Amino acid sequence: MNHTDEEAYAALRGCDMAPNKTAQKLLLQGAQNAWDMLSEEQSQKHITTGSGSLNDILGGGIHCKEVTEIGGVPGVGKTQLGIQLAINVQIPVDYGGLGGKAVYIDTEGSFMVERVYQIAEGCISDIMEYFPCHHDKASSGQENLQPESFLAGIYYFRICSYTEQIAVINYLEKFLGEHKDVRIVIIDSVTFHFRQDFEDLALRTRVLSGLSLKLMKLSKAYNLAVVLLNQVTTKFTEGSFQLTLALGDSWSHSCTNRLILYWKGNERCAYLDKSPSLPVASTPYAVTSKGVRDAGSSSCKRVRVM
Amino acid sequence: MDMNEEQPRVEDRCIPWSDGTQLLEDAAERKHFLPTGLEGIDTLLGGGLRKGQLTEITGQSSSGKTQVCLYSAAHVAARHMGAVLYLDTSNSFSPSRIACILDELPVSLIKEPKDVRLKRVMSSIICESVFDIFALFEVLDQLEVSLNGKVHHDGNKICLLIIDSVSSLLAPIIGGENSQGRSMMISVAMILKKLAHKHNLSALVTNHMVAGNEAPKPALGESWKAVPHIRLMVSRDRRSNICTATTLKHTLLASGRRMKFQLLPAG
Repeated sequence: MNHTDEEAYAALRGCDMAPNKTAQKLLLQGAQNAWDMLSEEQSQKHITTGSGSLNDILGGGIHCKEVTEIGGVPGVGKTQLGIQLAINVQIPVDYGGLGGKAVYIDTEGSFMVERVYQIAEGCISDIMEYFPCHHDKASSGQENLQPESFLAGIYYFRICSYTEQIAVINYLEKFLGEHKDVRIVIIDSVTFHFRQDFEDLALRTRVLSGLSLKLMKLSKAYNLAVVLLNQVTTKFTEGSFQLTLALGDSWSHSCTNRLILYWKGNERCAYLDKSPSLPVASTPYAVTSKGVRDAGSSSCKRVRVM
Repeated sequence: MDMNEEQPRVEDRCIPWSDGTQLLEDAAERKHFLPTGLEGIDTLLGGGLRKGQLTEITGQSSSGKTQVCLYSAAHVAARHMGAVLYLDTSNSFSPSRIACILDELPVSLIKEPKDVRLKRVMSSIICESVFDIFALFEVLDQLEVSLNGKVHHDGNKICLLIIDSVSSLLAPIIGGENSQGRSMMISVAMILKKLAHKHNLSALVTNHMVAGNEAPKPALGESWKAVPHIRLMVSRDRRSNICTATTLKHTLLASGRRMKFQLLPAG
């Protein structure tokens, strides 16, 4: 069959599809128009952070199909928030959650499983509080709500070098294809191995920008949220040293949203620094024994050990 | 029989020439300006993004590059100028933000109700995610085939192509000892300019900034600088939320001029 392009188009024009539609189909297989994307976006559920005010500045929580970077000084609660998200993504659909699973890539060894258990218990007790009647009748759903099942829903990778980190991100594509229920990938932290043993900085930039594109692709293809935890560094600008996120200016472009956690006196605060659709905003939050919660909900102020 | 008559004539192999008056006529009739909808930027650009040209926006993270792209897509589609193809590399194409920008637009003379307009405009913005350079080549190739096919009737012909950001696709392959990345960058540049010229569309790309020796500099540097017709730098004051645009390169107007512009509050 030797048709020229013109003949092919003429044939397609003859079909009863609107020419416009045909053209769009022909044009790009993966393309979508903004109208369809808008209705899809409006029906998306978000992953709650555990704190209502934090959800508010994030537009309802952590969004799927987006890459969110969370940065902050050590001890401000990055890992806590990471663990909280790994638990919260598993809140069953009946209780307003996504009922998904989590991939947790730990590069620093800061994933404390006892703490995860505690946060899972906190999450369950909050669910029971919000849905008391649900709890009574849904005996089948109740079986799920055990901290053990929340722990079982976290796929954990412990990474000890940047080579392993690159390898695991390359492997994720296959892994996520086999585990379609994963709705969040957390990397704690993306920085750690890239801050040491890396002499060629230009190579580091290339490797990191390649990684970030891969993560973008995964989040879109598998409709999941990617959360990257990042450390801070000092940078000399305009005559003074200021704290900025690590990995440099080039990396700062490689996320959809950026949330910065910081101390304001004795209070933990979060600042939404970058988002294509939401305004810059900040809010206090707290880390309690149950996990990440609204500030002022209980005695939650951390005693800072200086 | 003369052998030469069998051969195509040398003139037929060459593209036809045109003279200055034809060019001027073409410029006046076809090389329209597509408004970005941001007053300051439209003033700087002499009316907006010009058809047949490649415009680049550079700026630091969170300086407003994506916002300029979203505004342009919304305004061009809203004013019946044609369809928009948006290639997104960083999952930052936000339909809800476009809806919010459209909502603030005054209802036009023909009194198209807002909900009808919203659906019409959103349907003529087509978005595709592109995560590596090869996917970009493929999409641009498909676009060219589709434009050659002339299937679109005039109202829905693609008139604006946006790539946000072209630099993030090129960053993993440029630099080091391998020169292949650089040649792919030049290929992208050639394809974009060819599309813009042949199909009378406007191309808008963003280029992120990286740390330089003294001040931040665009990631695609000196050898890319020759590519866009216009290079515009945007920056944003965090406190007042007022953005500033500066022309770093302009083929028609003086460069170095700056204007302030303001984005709608989000939400």
